[in-house]
Amino acid sequence: MKIEREIRNDHIARIEGKAGIIVEIGDEIRARINVTEGPRFFEVITKGKHYDEAAAICSRICSFCSIPHKLTPIEAIENALNIEVSEQIKMLRQVLYFGNMVESHALHLYLFVLPDYLGYPDAFSMAEKYPEIMKHGLKLKNFGAMVQEILGGREIHPENAIVGGFGKLPEQKKMKKIYDMAKEAINSAIATVDFFTEYEYPHYVNLARNHLSIKPYEGYGVYGNEIISSDGFSFGIEKYKENIVEEVVPYSFAKRGKYNNEPFMVGALSRLVNNAKLLDGKAKELLSSYSNFLKEDNCFANNFAQAIELVYFIERIAEMAERARIGKQEAIEPEERNGRGYAVTEAPRGLLIYEVDVEDGIVKYMNVITPTAMFLPMMEIDALNMAKGMWEDGYKDVDLIGNKVEMTVRAYDPCISCSVHVIKL
Amino acid sequence: MRMKIGIHGLTSCYGCQLKMACIEEILEVAKNFEIVYWNMASSKGEIEKVDIAFVEGSVVTERDEEELKLIRENADALVAVGSCAIHGGVQGMIFGEDYEEIFREVYGDSLIDYEAKIGEPLRKYVEVDYCLPGCPPEEHEILYYLATFGIGSYPEEKDYPVCAECRRQGYPCILIEKGMPCLGPVTVAGCNAKCPGFNVACIGCRGPVPHGTAWFDSLARTFKEKGMSKEYIKRRMEIFGKQYEKLDEMIEKVFENED
Repeated sequence: MKIEREIRNDHIARIEGKAGIIVEIGDEIRARINVTEGPRFFEVITKGKHYDEAAAICSRICSFCSIPHKLTPIEAIENALNIEVSEQIKMLRQVLYFGNMVESHALHLYLFVLPDYLGYPDAFSMAEKYPEIMKHGLKLKNFGAMVQEILGGREIHPENAIVGGFGKLPEQKKMKKIYDMAKEAINSAIATVDFFTEYEYPHYVNLARNHLSIKPYEGYGVYGNEIISSDGFSFGIEKYKENIVEEVVPYSFAKRGKYNNEPFMVGALSRLVNNAKLLDGKAKELLSSYSNFLKEDNCFANNFAQAIELVYFIERIAEMAERARIGKQEAIEPEERNGRGYAVTEAPRGLLIYEVDVEDGIVKYMNVITPTAMFLPMMEIDALNMAKGMWEDGYKDVDLIGNKVEMTVRAYDPCISCSVHVIKL
Repeated sequence: MRMKIGIHGLTSCYGCQLKMACIEEILEVAKNFEIVYWNMASSKGEIEKVDIAFVEGSVVTERDEEELKLIRENADALVAVGSCAIHGGVQGMIFGEDYEEIFREVYGDSLIDYEAKIGEPLRKYVEVDYCLPGCPPEEHEILYYLATFGIGSYPEEKDYPVCAECRRQGYPCILIEKGMPCLGPVTVAGCNAKCPGFNVACIGCRGPVPHGTAWFDSLARTFKEKGMSKEYIKRRMEIFGKQYEKLDEMIEKVFENED
C-alpha cells in the first residue's frame, strides 16, 4: 500500500506506561497501537515464592491499580487455601478498593483527560486558568489517597493488606475521618459529572460492541465470581480461559484479549452498561437525569461512566465508614497449604483475573489477565475509526486527527504497565 | 530563574512518577520548577537540556537504553528514582537466568518486533549522580530532594536501615520476638518502618542499604536460627536485592557447612 500520510506518536503522553500509535493513510487507512513498554514476566518471578511474597510482588505490576493487583491475588490465594475472612475484613477491603477507584478515576479524568477538553497540554497549565476545576480533581485524588493510606498503609503498594486480612486494622477514629472527608469529596464528584455532560461524543467511534463485567456479590461492587457479557451470556471465573483468549502480535509486548473471537470492552462504561440497575443514591439519580450520556457503543462514554462511579464509590465509602465498628482481629493463617484458586475483581479499568496454584505454601503457577490487555484490540478499532471517519469527512489536518485519535485512546484509560506484565495462556 | 527538570519513566509500574504527581500540594510545588519534560503528565516537551533529570524504571528494552542515554547527555545531574532504577526492581529478579527461555515460556514462538532483556539498574548504562530510594519513595523524601536542588544544594542519601527507624519508633521487633522474616536490618531507611509498624515483615522494597553495608549474611544467620530454609531465605532476599553484588556469596557463607 502506498502511504500518503502518516500520523505517528511513538510515546503517547498522559497515559500510564509506554505505548505509541501509528495511523497510515493511503488507499485504505490502518491504525495500530504499539506497546513498547518492556515485559516484566510477573508469572515467572512469582513462581517459587511464598504466597505472601507473591501477592506483594503482584502489586508492583501497576501503581495506578496497585490495590487491585494486591487484593485480587490475595482473593485467589484465599480461594486456593480455603480461607474465609470475616465480614469486617470484607468490608474494609471494599473501602480500600473503592478508595483506589476514586483516586484512579480522579487522576485519569483530571490529570490525563481534562486537559484535552479544555485545550491544554497538561493539568499544570490548565490549573492556572481553571483553578476551581483542578481543586475538585485534587480533592478527589487526595481523598482516595487518604483512604488507601489508612487501610493499605500507603497509597501505592499497600503492604498492610495481606492474605487472611490486614497487618493492622484501622483505629475507629480513622474511619470517622474517612467518613468526614467523603462527605466533603462528594460535591467534587458531582461537579465532575456535570463537567462531562457538557460535551458531545464524537460519532466516528460509534460501533456496537460487547461489554464484559463481573456480576457483583453485592451492590455495584467490585468483587464477584461470575463474568457477564452484554450479549446476555455469563460464565464462572474458573472458565475464563475458555471464554477469553489472548493473542500475540508482532508490534506489542502486551498480549491482546478476544471474547468469542471478537474484540470487546471492559471498564467503567461496561460496568455501567451491565450493572446500572445496581446503582443507588445520588449516582442513580444523576444517571437517570443524564441517561442519554450512557451510550454503550461509544468509548467516550467511559469518561462519563467514571464520573458517575466517583459519586457511587464515595457514597458507599461514607456509608461503610459510618457503619464500621472496628473490632480486634488478627489475620487468619490458612490451615491448608495446597490448592488452586481463582479471583476476578473490577479494577478501575475493568476486569482483572488471577489464577494461582499453591503447593506447600509456595506459588507454583500464576496467571494474570489485565483489563488493558483485554480492551487493546477494541481500543485499536476505535482509534482507527476515529482517524478514518475524520479523514473521509474531509479533515486533512493530521495534527488534529492525531489529537482526536489520542483522545480516543485516553478515553479507555489504558494502563500499559499492567498490559505488559505478561501472561501465559 | 527556575530550575529546569525532566521526569522520565523507563520500564516500571510508574509508581514513582505517580507518587510525584500525587504530592498533596503538587501545583504549588510545580510552580518552583520549570518542568521541561514529563510525558506521563504533559503532551508538550522534548528531551532537552535540564538541570536535573529524575528517572524511574529499569532498562528492559533497547528503547529504554537509548532514551536513558539521551536523558543523561542532556542532564547536568541525573537522579535514579526508586527500586527499579537503583536496583533493577522486581523485574530484575530473573537476572542470571536464561532470558530466551523465559521469553519463550511467556510469548511462545511468536515474533515481536522489539528487543527486550533482563531489567537492570540505570548505573549499568550511565553515570548516576543521586539515588532517591523507595518503592515508591515517600512524599517527604521527594520534597526533600526537590527542595535541596531548588536552593542550589544537594540531597544526602540515607545510609542506615529501616531497622534504625523501627527502633526509634519504639515498635516491638517482629524478627526477634515473633520470628517473622523481616528485611528491615538490610533495607535502606526512609519509610519510617511502616510495615513493621503494622505487623508486616519488611519485604525490602526500598532496596539494600548503600555503600556495601547491607549485611545479608548476618541476617541470613538470624533467619536460619529462626528455622527458615536456605531456599526460602534466598528467594525472599532476592525479591528486591537480586542484583546486590555479594548477595549469593553472603547467603552461601552462612550455609556452607551444611550442603
